[in-house]
Amino acid sequence: MGPGIITGFAGNDAGGVATYTAVGAHYGFQMLWLLLLSTAGLLVVQEMCARMGAVTGKGLSDLIRERFGVRWTIVAMLALLIANGSNIVAEYAGIAASLELFHVERIVSVPIAAVLIWVLVVFFSYRIVERALFVLVLAYIAYPITAFIVGPPWGDVVHDTLIPTLPIEQAALIAALALVGTTITPYMQFYIQASVVDKGIDKEQYRFERVDVLLGAILTGLNGFFIVVVAGAVLHPAGVHVDSAADAARALLPLAGQQAQLLFGVGLFGASLLAATIMPLSTSYAICEAFGWESGISKNFREAPVFMGLFTLLVVVGALIVLSPSVPLIPVILVSQNVNGLLLPIVLVFILMLAGDRRIMGEHTNGRFSQMVGIGTAVGASVLSIALVAITILGSAP
Amino acid sequence: MNCTGYASGVVPYLSEIQHRRVIEPNGNEVGKLADIAVVPHGQFPAAQWAIISTPSGEKVLRWGDLAQEIGHLRLRNRLETTPDAQLPPDALRLARDLLDKQIVDTHGAKVVRVNDLQLSEVDGQLRLVGADVGLRGLLRRVGAEGVAERVARLAGRRLPRGIIPWHLVETLEPANDTPAKTAAVRLTIPHTKLALLHPADIADIVEEMTADERIAVFQQLDLETAAEALQEVEPEMQAAIVSDLPEERAADILEEMDPDEAADLLQDLPEERREELVELMEKEEAKDVEELLTHSEDSAGGIMTTDFVALPRELTAAQAIDELRARKPDPQLTYYLYVVDGDGKLEGVLSLRDLVVASPETKVSEIMDPNVLKVDAETPKEEVAALIAKYDLLAMPVVDARKMLLGTVTVDDVVEIMLPRGWKKRSLRSIAR
Repeated sequence: MGPGIITGFAGNDAGGVATYTAVGAHYGFQMLWLLLLSTAGLLVVQEMCARMGAVTGKGLSDLIRERFGVRWTIVAMLALLIANGSNIVAEYAGIAASLELFHVERIVSVPIAAVLIWVLVVFFSYRIVERALFVLVLAYIAYPITAFIVGPPWGDVVHDTLIPTLPIEQAALIAALALVGTTITPYMQFYIQASVVDKGIDKEQYRFERVDVLLGAILTGLNGFFIVVVAGAVLHPAGVHVDSAADAARALLPLAGQQAQLLFGVGLFGASLLAATIMPLSTSYAICEAFGWESGISKNFREAPVFMGLFTLLVVVGALIVLSPSVPLIPVILVSQNVNGLLLPIVLVFILMLAGDRRIMGEHTNGRFSQMVGIGTAVGASVLSIALVAITILGSAP
Repeated sequence: MNCTGYASGVVPYLSEIQHRRVIEPNGNEVGKLADIAVVPHGQFPAAQWAIISTPSGEKVLRWGDLAQEIGHLRLRNRLETTPDAQLPPDALRLARDLLDKQIVDTHGAKVVRVNDLQLSEVDGQLRLVGADVGLRGLLRRVGAEGVAERVARLAGRRLPRGIIPWHLVETLEPANDTPAKTAAVRLTIPHTKLALLHPADIADIVEEMTADERIAVFQQLDLETAAEALQEVEPEMQAAIVSDLPEERAADILEEMDPDEAADLLQDLPEERREELVELMEKEEAKDVEELLTHSEDSAGGIMTTDFVALPRELTAAQAIDELRARKPDPQLTYYLYVVDGDGKLEGVLSLRDLVVASPETKVSEIMDPNVLKVDAETPKEEVAALIAKYDLLAMPVVDARKMLLGTVTVDDVVEIMLPRGWKKRSLRSIAR
């Protein structure tokens, strides 16, 4: 499997499942057009990052630091830290929600998961986890199958995918921004570029890597598409409001009947645990590389204090926030994806400036098409963000 | 430069002097100091050019045309009458080419990032004396050094300095022929300094570099160091490095490597590339490696080395010592000396000590221990490791079905198998950045 497909898998985390389900349940097929646009944006942006990795041999945070200096690096790294931090909270919420389906209280499941993740990463290899969990994530195949069993009105699906409509109200804007934020996460851009660098893919091999990037983005888009379609066909007509994992699991009733919760729970658990393992690590690496701090999981607290400290902090804080019984899990996940959506434009601006810089990219600089789609994506995400913020402030004004 | 503008004891940093106003003799502001350029030769290169950003673009002036005064730089003549200078191709612009880039700290043998550059007046010339890679440098860049220092002092601590003297840092020529790369100067210590480090440290440093930098390093190290360092690099990266090096160079390095390490590496390459490289290697080394390639990677034959000391049984102790003196074998090959008959069949083993304390005329067949533990080439490597650990051996001979001595597995070949999992260094960079 190439970096593109792995990134696609990693992107289908707790945030993805919860957001796509909620969007489908509350708005039917109405936002499919936005998913289509987001997938196109994702494809183009992922291609840029993979290309930057192949051309420069450097990660995204390296390039940001070397091109923009310390101050802007702090801005970018804060954005990444907040976005990924909120994702980590979402992953623990996913772990808690999925295990609550099996009657495991979060006060038990979340601390165990956090300790397990920390020990696995520090003393063993996260790659073991990665392989095992990819199998669990395959539970997502249930969505396309369910879609064909249910047989949604395909005419409507196609119509809504191609014709944009969006109610201008706070709830809808929240859903829309979460949809964009979960499809094009800032995290995925750092991750794919690092993977390309790590695999030693160079300019010559990049032609093949392109295909992998394309497949990865399409995989992410299709996964989202089928979840929205199933939720839109099963939950939306029934007027289900998704507040818990049990509500979300009902989307799979037509396929699995009594076993729907099992199927949904296993998929959500695998995806959440996978992302909860990778995300704190990748965040610590990105930040330490940008500032030149010692990093590496084979080092101890004395050798790499910031790296190990940051990793541990992200694991602990992520778990602690979810631990409180009053925190509603599914809404927390949706909010976290909004945070991603809000911060996405910042990260996109850095990516566009770097990939469009001839001094860095030489003959592989962004073409006009890539640059236009990239700018379009950044503007789209910004407009949604600003609209949401504006409507929230105006709405709450007396 | 008699008027330095700095109180004695205050060390100026690039971040403090960059963006200072540049004024004409009459006080008229003409622009800001954008960058300082040096030619990176010698221990502490002198500032030779100033790059000034003016409303009409960047201007390159000779550093000597400016005088440093408190808070600004003053031109000795009016801007129009100051001649433009030309930067030579090997000039380094400090802010553009060094600041925020990665360098190698040869003392700590690790890769760090340049947060700031330390300048100092030496013999009346402003010189580049060090790279600030510490927290202070970062804080200074965002204008928070003073605040942080006061906070630290309240806590009864001092902010640590993290400065690498410049003579431990230098530039590396851009990787071979890539013209696009000349813009981005690649930094690291020069090969001479790198070569002084332990090969395992070189390997660690190389793993942090970009592919182009890696290739540049392996192009420039002497063959022996290159081979030893390559052996210490992680397997996947080894294969990538050998694939990217010019074939001749790759073959030369492979020849210098231990045959078993070379064979392991070649096993990870595509078949075509492997055959090309073996073809280019010297006959003798190629033969050893090819033989090793026929064994599975997980068997004794796959991890053994074909270098060993085999003494014909009729040699006397004195002759055997002469033989060793002439061959000068690597230390790990002298743990055990093997005795073979005329066909190369393993007959016994003796230690260097046995040889030295025996009277010179004794035959080695008389002092050897004929009960020698051995394994055949197909034995799984875990089993070999277990035997070596159980009997506290330093090496284990490997024989074929006719008892012919094929090679030895030394303890360093199996130490990784014996260590618990968590000990092994893992490549986690893929989830990085």
